[in-house]
Amino acid sequence: MDKRRYNPDFNQLVKIFRREKADRPVLFEYFMNGELFSHITGLSFEELTDPMDKIRMITRAFYLLGYDYVTIPSRYLTGFSFEAAGHEKKETVSLNEGAVINDRNSFESYNWPVPEEGSYRLLEDVTGILPEGMKVIVPGPGGVLENVIYLVGFESLCFMIFEDEDLAKDIFDAVGARLLRFYEIVSSYDSVGALIVNDDWGFKNQTMLSPDTLRRMVFPWQKKIVEAIHRNGKYAVLHSCGNISDVMDDIIEDMKFDAKHSFEDNIVPVERAYEMWGRRIAIMGGIDMDFLVRSTPDEITMRAGNILRLTDSKGYALGSGNSIPPYVPVENYMAMIYAATR
Amino acid sequence: MNSILERIAACVENGKVNMKSPYPPSMRGQEGADELTAEALKEGLTPTEILDLGLIPGMNAIGLKFSENRAFVPEMLMAAKAMSTAMLHLKPYFASGDIEYKGVIVIGTVSGDLHDIGKNLVGMAMEGAGWRVIDLGVDVSAGRFISAVEENPGCVVGLSALLTTTMLNMESIVRELKERFGMLKILVGGAPLNQEFCTRIGADYYGRSSQGAIAYLNSLQDATGQ
Ligand code: B12
Repeated sequence: MDKRRYNPDFNQLVKIFRREKADRPVLFEYFMNGELFSHITGLSFEELTDPMDKIRMITRAFYLLGYDYVTIPSRYLTGFSFEAAGHEKKETVSLNEGAVINDRNSFESYNWPVPEEGSYRLLEDVTGILPEGMKVIVPGPGGVLENVIYLVGFESLCFMIFEDEDLAKDIFDAVGARLLRFYEIVSSYDSVGALIVNDDWGFKNQTMLSPDTLRRMVFPWQKKIVEAIHRNGKYAVLHSCGNISDVMDDIIEDMKFDAKHSFEDNIVPVERAYEMWGRRIAIMGGIDMDFLVRSTPDEITMRAGNILRLTDSKGYALGSGNSIPPYVPVENYMAMIYAATR
Repeated sequence: MNSILERIAACVENGKVNMKSPYPPSMRGQEGADELTAEALKEGLTPTEILDLGLIPGMNAIGLKFSENRAFVPEMLMAAKAMSTAMLHLKPYFASGDIEYKGVIVIGTVSGDLHDIGKNLVGMAMEGAGWRVIDLGVDVSAGRFISAVEENPGCVVGLSALLTTTMLNMESIVRELKERFGMLKILVGGAPLNQEFCTRIGADYYGRSSQGAIAYLNSLQDATGQ
């Protein structure tokens, strides 16, 4: 594979963010995986050690597959992240493990990362390799809630919110202020066309914390982050998993995200989400992960084609409900994007 | 009903652990599940009365709110904390056989999966409904489930998974368990699961949340006439 059928054009994605009709179907993915990149480019992703080489390869893969942008994980760009103790990793990780902040002392002695000290040079260097028409989309190093959970542990955080609310609030503020700086810095680069705020707020049945707690501790920072992104003339995509129907109005009216990503059939299937919210916020991806893994390629192309017809590419870009981890069979993923690129 | 039992139920429902606990603000400075359970025992109430008419109704009330999205995980965890603090007073009576658990459930997150929040919550809710919960933790193989069932004849099993990949591991675990223990009831749950998958792999009950699972467990108990 060394050609694509249409030229990259980030403006098509911009049309989607503005809930306008794009000239052709548009693809969107939060991130994909090294095995897929190797498969597409014929090179070995794992053997590359230099971040710039990796970015070159990821860009090539996004280009060949038909995207109008490339997502570059913030870990390649900045060296800015909130460090907790080690998490054991298998196919999943525990949200309780690895906590490093449990009281005022550990909060105060925590070695907070400084966004200004991150290295963002790659955002300039990348312009030299970006195919014409393509831009970069950068997700954060996790969101406000995710990082606080990472530092405190989920169950401990739940207790802290009730038993030491001031401390909980201070931790949210410490994380929020630093993420805000990160987004201010990254959104100011010309190569960057949009930013992803990646913060899981829900699970199957409801939000992880009550909507009220989210409104007090998490959303004020997200709102400032979206404002900063908009001030730099860029677009803000919210990637947030789980059942967050109760706070969709906050996302649209208060935080003013341009687009919402992550949908599950078990919660609100993306076709229904488009009907419910598509007039007020762009809807990205949404082909359910379980469906994508366990259906036949024909079934997948059929559903992807149907949603492109249903939405007429007005405020909708095609992609998965979450991301493309290695457990999505390559032929199933290809069957999905085929509906847009055929 | 004795008002101290109602107060115990209210403490559990509202997550009031003990006198010192600042939560909930509306009950600040009042006695919690801890003190009231000790008092109730002193007053001569039986441990079974305290469990069946105080603690379980309290957990049931918060579980219901949780399943209707009127309460959230933090509230549920506070309630479970109040409940388990009270249970410390009742532990000796379980050991001596003065009170009996409604049944035993062996619960775990299946092989390959380290995710524990959903499983923990379900475990707490089941404990709160009077069941003995044997938590095998995360990344649990079929072999470990089999040994636990052998050690606890008559138990039921609960399996949890987060991703489609690990959910697929449930299929072989259910098959192996069913092959060995024909009558064993198996409950399944977690993000990617649905009723269709549960039925296909031959599990007995799919739970979107803990509340329905408790009703199912209680129905099993009724059916066996315990
Ligand atoms: C938080 C989260 C993460 C966190 C932490 C994950 C973790 N291990 O804890 C992070 C950000 C690390 C993460 C990562 C990933 N995630 Co994730 N994640 C979630 C999220 C938003 C919530 C999970 C959670 O903590 N739930 C909290 C508890 C309370 O809920 P629960 O487990 O569902 O339990 C309740 C019920 O299900 C039920 N229940 C659970 N077990 C049982 C058992 C029994 C017997 C019964 C009766 C009931 C029951 O009762 C509980 C209480 O009501 C879900 C979305 C979702 N719908 O849940 C996605 C989700 C699970 N993630 C998903 C994916 C794809 C991933 C990644 C693969 C992404 C990637 N490409 O790397 C990675 C891989 C995981 C890893 N390496 O750890 C997909 C899985 C899709 C699929 N079908 O395979 C989901 C469903 C999101 C989506 N948009 O589709 N994730």
